[in-house]
Amino acid sequence: MAYSDKVVDHYNNPRNVGTLDKSSQEVGTGLVGAPECGDVMRLQIKVNPDTQVIEEAKFKTFGCGSAIASSSLATEWIKGRTVEDALAIKNTDIVKELSLPPVKIHCSVLAEDAIRAAISDWKKKNGVAEAAAAETAAQ
Amino acid sequence: MLKVIESAVPVACWSCAVAHNEATLFCPHCSKIQPPSGGDFFSVFGLKPCLNLDLTGLEHEFHRLSRKLHPDRFARAGENEKQWSLADTALLNDAYRTLKDPIHRTEYLLKLHGAEIGEEHSRKDRRDPSRVPADLLEEVFDLNMQLEEMRAAKKMGEDDPALQASLEQAKAKFEGLLDEVDDSLRAQWSKWDAGDAGARAAAQKEMVALLDRRRYLNNLVRDVTETLGA
Ligand code: FES
Repeated sequence: MAYSDKVVDHYNNPRNVGTLDKSSQEVGTGLVGAPECGDVMRLQIKVNPDTQVIEEAKFKTFGCGSAIASSSLATEWIKGRTVEDALAIKNTDIVKELSLPPVKIHCSVLAEDAIRAAISDWKKKNGVAEAAAAETAAQ
Repeated sequence: MLKVIESAVPVACWSCAVAHNEATLFCPHCSKIQPPSGGDFFSVFGLKPCLNLDLTGLEHEFHRLSRKLHPDRFARAGENEKQWSLADTALLNDAYRTLKDPIHRTEYLLKLHGAEIGEEHSRKDRRDPSRVPADLLEEVFDLNMQLEEMRAAKKMGEDDPALQASLEQAKAKFEGLLDEVDDSLRAQWSKWDAGDAGARAAAQKEMVALLDRRRYLNNLVRDVTETLGA
């Protein structure tokens, strides 16, 4: 399959590959899989406890080029955003940015799932209720 | 989306005009070739959709029909019949390839019955955490990390016996899990084949989940085998 230039770029130079300390209070970890193909992705965020801004994001993906590109792009996008802002990222945004064909949509879904999973892990760790966090972000 | 032809509409044979309601490749009355029917792969072999298949019988029937469809037999036939023999051959090959493989057959049958498999997973459905247990994901991920380490080590020309051993172990373990999944699938086959609508729906749900699990395990076994053999 022909990958778009942007996919190739992220694939060849993935941004933010790596690991954050899973046990740290400030780190949220999302581990998700795509049942369609059996690929797996881990995305981690480090959140500033005062501002709720995502200061670091790392990923590791075992999967196709589109999944690697989607998660690489996702880490770029969420860095510097608040947790609630990051939740606004939709897989369709990733599809658009990377010009993914229909058969590769599930790869972008995997990245969105990973962001959500990482954030909800962080929220759980820090006892942040979904609604309360939304209020803080709105202030 | 595929549809099950529950009771195929009777069609009249183009040659002898006798109606036959089987989605067969040849008219049961005059034996003339028929255009490809809209029936499912099972009906190509005169079968009702089922999961426990007699594979020897299937293979036998495949060869018999292939011979009957051989182009040489249609050298002097009309243009229509020639075209149909080609189209029927393609259909027969697809049907055989799909049905002889247990996993393809299961996925095909489930799709016929409206299950969402592979690309067709709906979003809501795939978020259901019960579909793939988190501990399996952890294991899959960890093993992938080990594999990567091992590949890197091999590239450097190093041999890490401890890593090698743990990979062999992991391979055996995941192959075992794959066997378990296949056994569970087979148990569901019988339930589906014998069951009423309710039992079938339950078996179907089970099988969709098992197939999801199987995909992760299968990838792993493939990658471990590749890395160990490289
Ligand atoms: S093919 Fe599985 S994530 Fe892309």
